[in-house]
Amino acid sequence: MNAVTIDPREQKYARRKRVNQVAVGLALAAMAFGLFWLAWILVETVRLGVSGLVLSTFTQMTPPPNEVGGLANAIYGSVLMVSLATFIGAPIGIMAGIYLAEYDPHGWLASVTRFVNDILLSAPSIVIGLFVYAVVVARFKTFSGWAGVIALALIVIPVVIRTTENMLQLVPPGLREAAYALGAPKWKVILSITMKAARAGVITGILLAVARIAGETAPLLFTALSNQFWTSNLGEPMASLPVTIFKFAMSPYENWQKLAWAGVFLITFAVLGLNILARVLTRHKN
Amino acid sequence: MSDKHLSSQFDSELHSVSTRVMELGGLVESQLLNAIYALTHFSDETADRVIQTEDRVDSMEVEIDHDLSSIIARRQPTARDLRLLIAISKTTANLERVGDEAEKIARMVKSIIRSGSARALPSSELRIAAGQASTLLRKALDAFARLDVDAAVSIIRDDDEIDREFDGFVRKLITYMMEDPRTISPSLDLLFLAKAIERIGDHAKNVAEFIIYIVKGTDVRHTAIEQIESAVK
Amino acid sequence: METLTPTREKSKISVKDLNFYYGKFHALKGINLEIPENKVTAFIGPSGCGKSTLLRVFNRMFELYPEQRAEGRIVLDGEDLLTSKKDVAILRAKVGMVFQKPTPFPMSIYDNIAFGVKLFENLNATDMDERVEWALRKAALWGEVKDKLRQGGSSLSGGQQQRLCIARGIAIKPEVLLLDEPCSALDPISTAKVEELIVELKQDYTVVIVTHNMQQAARCSDYTAYMYLGDLIEFGATEQMFFKPTRKETEDYITGRFG
Repeated sequence: MNAVTIDPREQKYARRKRVNQVAVGLALAAMAFGLFWLAWILVETVRLGVSGLVLSTFTQMTPPPNEVGGLANAIYGSVLMVSLATFIGAPIGIMAGIYLAEYDPHGWLASVTRFVNDILLSAPSIVIGLFVYAVVVARFKTFSGWAGVIALALIVIPVVIRTTENMLQLVPPGLREAAYALGAPKWKVILSITMKAARAGVITGILLAVARIAGETAPLLFTALSNQFWTSNLGEPMASLPVTIFKFAMSPYENWQKLAWAGVFLITFAVLGLNILARVLTRHKN
Repeated sequence: MSDKHLSSQFDSELHSVSTRVMELGGLVESQLLNAIYALTHFSDETADRVIQTEDRVDSMEVEIDHDLSSIIARRQPTARDLRLLIAISKTTANLERVGDEAEKIARMVKSIIRSGSARALPSSELRIAAGQASTLLRKALDAFARLDVDAAVSIIRDDDEIDREFDGFVRKLITYMMEDPRTISPSLDLLFLAKAIERIGDHAKNVAEFIIYIVKGTDVRHTAIEQIESAVK
Repeated sequence: METLTPTREKSKISVKDLNFYYGKFHALKGINLEIPENKVTAFIGPSGCGKSTLLRVFNRMFELYPEQRAEGRIVLDGEDLLTSKKDVAILRAKVGMVFQKPTPFPMSIYDNIAFGVKLFENLNATDMDERVEWALRKAALWGEVKDKLRQGGSSLSGGQQQRLCIARGIAIKPEVLLLDEPCSALDPISTAKVEELIVELKQDYTVVIVTHNMQQAARCSDYTAYMYLGDLIEFGATEQMFFKPTRKETEDYITGRFG
């Protein structure tokens, strides 16, 4: 019987294969760990919140403790303030992003802007809330929906600036040159060609900003505060889902707690929906 | 060929085809020298050798042309390379014709030997002319190998002289034929031989003209010698 | 540098003592050149010789980049385009350019062509339709796209996209067409179609083409300029350049004796 000779290459390969298997195993375990908690959160959210998905939640206002009610004013307040913040913050962010990417990318103003933007982007939202409190609420001596809108807009703007600039930088320079070569003026190149090419990415950026501010609590605490009753006057304190959840969840009252969970459910799945929408948009483009 | 191409393959292909043309030149030259020997010594055996060489000359011409087409198809030669390849093609044709003429001379010699009549006729001038033509061919092949333009111009001039001598020889033959009609038949044989020799000189001149074509890019065929000299400066 | 010009041709663009700099780097050195009207002129030379740089001076594309500058004169129809006070967009409408990589705009095929036209002309719908069709026909693309004009430009194949870009360039009816290695991203059949197109275009336009493919220059152009390291080495009729060039450097490049 002949001795079996082991090819040294095969030996090395077998070892690499083993190492690979261990590494993949560890990666899978890490992912499972992360997914486990996420899944648990979602399961708990659904379990505790789905019972709150009744019509009354959407039609009735926040009740006093131990009374029947809903989240209508909170939902309305959130939608209103988030929409306004986006309508104000997104255009500003887009225009600044265009400036940074198209007009003077290497200038001193651009560098300063980017630096400040990065700071704002990572600033804790409570700081922004306190800032708006000091500047708006203290001055007008009232909490108000407008203060909330301003605070949220200040969170939207840095996000949109960053994503807009990045998306515009991804547009190949050849595309711009082709437009210039036809005799197009700069503004037209940016509007009709570059922005159009970056459109999906920019919209995604806005959606992600919306998803972020939909769940922000701290800035609203100091600005819009909350309101037990219905109001559509932004000059007054206004209810919002995150603040309402905060208030209700910490309370000892069962009905409030149930409504809080319903609110959590609504926000979670709204944010999830926006993220999915953003992904669908970018995938469709490619 | 002076500088090297980036493609050493191309260089070796050019070198190979040039070498083969030189080989063909050598073969044809020896064929011609044998024909002259056969003429000088009325040697039937040597004449046969000349005729046998013809097959090899023909097949070499075909091979060289085949190599040339292959190079042109694959390399898309331009400028100097293009002129070189065109010139090689034409030179090969000219050399093959020299071989044909040498063969004709050999066949003529054989027929003269058979008829037994030629010894009395003035063939010494022919022998000298044949020698001149073969020297001219040698010079042309040398000049081609070195792409020597000055040598090419002097070859073109020398062929003019061969042409003039041929004219003189023809006139002499005509006077013989007029004086004595019995000399017409052998005179025509000699005329035929003289014509073949004159053509060999012309072919050598053509080769020289292609040297100028390769080096200067000017086509000097059918041009007078004075214009050629000024074109070459 | 001595002026190297073809005689007997009317000159569309005259380049006089052109020097070009990328920052401190001297990219074009004292170029003197006459581009003949209604002919195809090719710029050839090894990478980095400046042929694309020279091409891009003709429509002032270099002005998009602050560290690039040009000195000298470039006379087009009697006016120096480097110092002209007119808006550069007007120059670019006269001197069109097609780039190496096909770049269809993110819009329909129809809008791609109409984009440039709308910049300078007010055409009603019928006239615009005609112009789009005319441009696509000239670019030998009409047959392939006439039923899908509203589809996006990026739905076309590479060769079609490049012909779309050519159609886009022609639609504005420029006088000069600059082509920067237009076929290098294309397959041989598309390349052949574009080359056919180039030969036809010279009836109406002055064409300047940059190519690193010498055989393409030999096939398509009437005049060829050989450049090396920022210098114009030789300029002459294509036939003559490829049969018996005057300069040894040119012959070395053309026959592949380079290096």
